[in-house]
Amino acid sequence: MPKVLLIVPAYNEKLNIKKTIDDIINNTNYDYIIIDDCSKDGTKEICKENHFNYLSLPINYGLTSGIQLGMKYAYKYDYDIAIQFDGDGQHQAKYLQDLVKEIEENNTDIAIGSRFITKKKPKTTRMIGSMLISSVIKLTTGKTIKDPTSGMRAYNKEVIKRFVTNSSLTPEPDTLVYFIKKKMKIKEVQVEMSKREYGKSYLNPLKSIEYMINMLFSIIFIRAIT
Amino acid sequence: MSITLRIILIICSIIAFLLSIMKIKQAKLKVVNSVIWMVGAILLIFMSLFSNVVEWISSSLGFIAPVNFVFLITIIFLLIEVFTDNIRISELNEKIKNLNHYIALSEHEKRQNNLKNEGE
Repeated sequence: MPKVLLIVPAYNEKLNIKKTIDDIINNTNYDYIIIDDCSKDGTKEICKENHFNYLSLPINYGLTSGIQLGMKYAYKYDYDIAIQFDGDGQHQAKYLQDLVKEIEENNTDIAIGSRFITKKKPKTTRMIGSMLISSVIKLTTGKTIKDPTSGMRAYNKEVIKRFVTNSSLTPEPDTLVYFIKKKMKIKEVQVEMSKREYGKSYLNPLKSIEYMINMLFSIIFIRAIT
Repeated sequence: MSITLRIILIICSIIAFLLSIMKIKQAKLKVVNSVIWMVGAILLIFMSLFSNVVEWISSSLGFIAPVNFVFLITIIFLLIEVFTDNIRISELNEKIKNLNHYIALSEHEKRQNNLKNEGE
């Protein structure tokens, strides 16, 4: 049995976090670590009351920093597999074993929980962005990744180590290109995601455009070449 | 170069020079970081005092007016400063991030140890 850690980043997820952790505890026997990114709504207090396993950051530093901290934790306690699992209730714990199985049985380095392997992408603005990133990845690496922006990803030990030693790596699509270029094996596994019930996503139109520009530049001019 | 421009440049340089020294005394600027500003100020003063040298260089490089050459030098100087500052900010950002992580991890460890001690 591999040692599996679920990294659950949470920022102002007071209303979702308990449900997420209950889902994890009821449907899996994996360890988890909540990364409370200095929430202002009392997410930390909820973790404390319920005796959840959590790390509490004193300064708000964003999702990338949160995942990197989770990776440091996984490295410190010698986990074999680390999985990003959103704290906003969109991910479902029942699909996690499929990701673990993919890494265990097929020697995959990164397994992505993908929404669109068997299902078609809906034509919303967000999915147009996703398609654009997919095609740029296809152009630069020749690999098809149908759901590059999925936030549900499982990493094996080698990848965890790279995350700890290289702080430019992020939980974003451009890092996938980096790993493809480093000859790592990346596979997608079909999962379903639900809509968020409470709270707001951090992406607004302006931020989305900024995100897209950052991703495209990073993939084309940095990750694809170096 | 016109005499007005030279006077303006000299006055600005002297102000920049004095400002650097004042900020060091107030401990708001490190000596290492102030050197570049003092060097820049001295360079500008020299360019104003020996304007015939500047005129000779700029005309042999094909500039229409010597003042363009002075501005170009200033812009290059500023761009280098901005870029190095950018790098410095990124480095600081990285250090704060690691410190942030370190605090979270050691606080977690402390909590775990307390739990263990309570259990015993």
